[in-house]
Amino acid sequence: MTTNEPISMNLLNQDLFKNWPFDQDHCLTCALCSSSCPISGIDGFDPRKIIRMVSMGLQSELVESRWPWICTMCGKCEHVCPMGIHIPDMMRAIRSLRDRDKVPGILHKGLDAALKTGNNLGLPKEDFVFILEDVADEIRQEPGFEGFAASVDKQGANIMTTIHNKLVNTHTEDLKHWWKIFYAAGEDWTVPSENWEGTNWGMFTGDDPAMKLMSGRIAENMVRLNAKNLLWPE
Amino acid sequence: MAYIREGRIHLDKSRFSSVLATYHDPCNYGRKAERIFGQGFYDEPRWIISQCMENWVDMYPTRDSQYCCGGGGGTLTTGYNAERIFYGRKKMEQIQATGASMVIVPCHSCHGQLNAIKAEYGMENLVVKYLWELVADCL
Repeated sequence: MTTNEPISMNLLNQDLFKNWPFDQDHCLTCALCSSSCPISGIDGFDPRKIIRMVSMGLQSELVESRWPWICTMCGKCEHVCPMGIHIPDMMRAIRSLRDRDKVPGILHKGLDAALKTGNNLGLPKEDFVFILEDVADEIRQEPGFEGFAASVDKQGANIMTTIHNKLVNTHTEDLKHWWKIFYAAGEDWTVPSENWEGTNWGMFTGDDPAMKLMSGRIAENMVRLNAKNLLWPE
Repeated sequence: MAYIREGRIHLDKSRFSSVLATYHDPCNYGRKAERIFGQGFYDEPRWIISQCMENWVDMYPTRDSQYCCGGGGGTLTTGYNAERIFYGRKKMEQIQATGASMVIVPCHSCHGQLNAIKAEYGMENLVVKYLWELVADCL
């Protein structure tokens, strides 16, 4: 969007986001948020403008803008805001208003795959278990880890852990760190063979029902496996 | 932490004795956890690092005033790569200022982002290490 053109007053609908719980109307326009934000200035973006646009009800401008998507929702703006405006949550709410097929990049596609198959990659159960066993085999080659075994779907384990999809895709080496620690500590642990995805891209796309569903699957796995604790490093 | 405290794992501090490291506070473990759950995890990772190595320094600013790496909020997957690389400059300046050759992170997104952008800032040799990777390396 361009920001240099005047905005016609008849576009304003100051009641539009009145029910949002982010306190945008309390903004003092002090611009501490803008000064604190590492991405201020890119493409005319700064958090204060977004807050004012929400206050003024400029829905289509907000939703079409890529501003909420280049923001990382890191919370530095909110941390310095003297009025305690929940700027990152507001960004996420704006993201949620986009048509799902217009969500940038692979975010919604990954989430869609996760909702259908249990993980962002659409990786079938047998392939997943094969990768885990393969990595376990590699660990057993290392001195001191000869007795290591991957623990899949074990009942009653002390710790159940989720897996970030990149660890069974391009970064299988990074599966080993936690597993080695578990082995050294004599931990009783397990990984579920389905719905193991630890990332939750509904958090990024502003999709609350999807986020709840993904989290719910992890809880279901805990119940199914009767696991005592959850390790969810994602 | 319990593994280390209870003596269930033993860590060898000599492994990285010649390395100077620094630590990056992920937004989600710090500032955001503090706001949403009422507790930011700032001291715990630092304590774990201190069990693994003697030579590490904090960046400035840090903890709840840290700068984001630029890889959070799904920005690694939106395709806005130029913006994401630009975003990371503050973090890379902070790391550079410490003189550290290793940055320790306990977050998948931060790890991915720092590794992806380090070459853009002439820091190809920077080692980006998961906190749990550091622990596993010191076993």
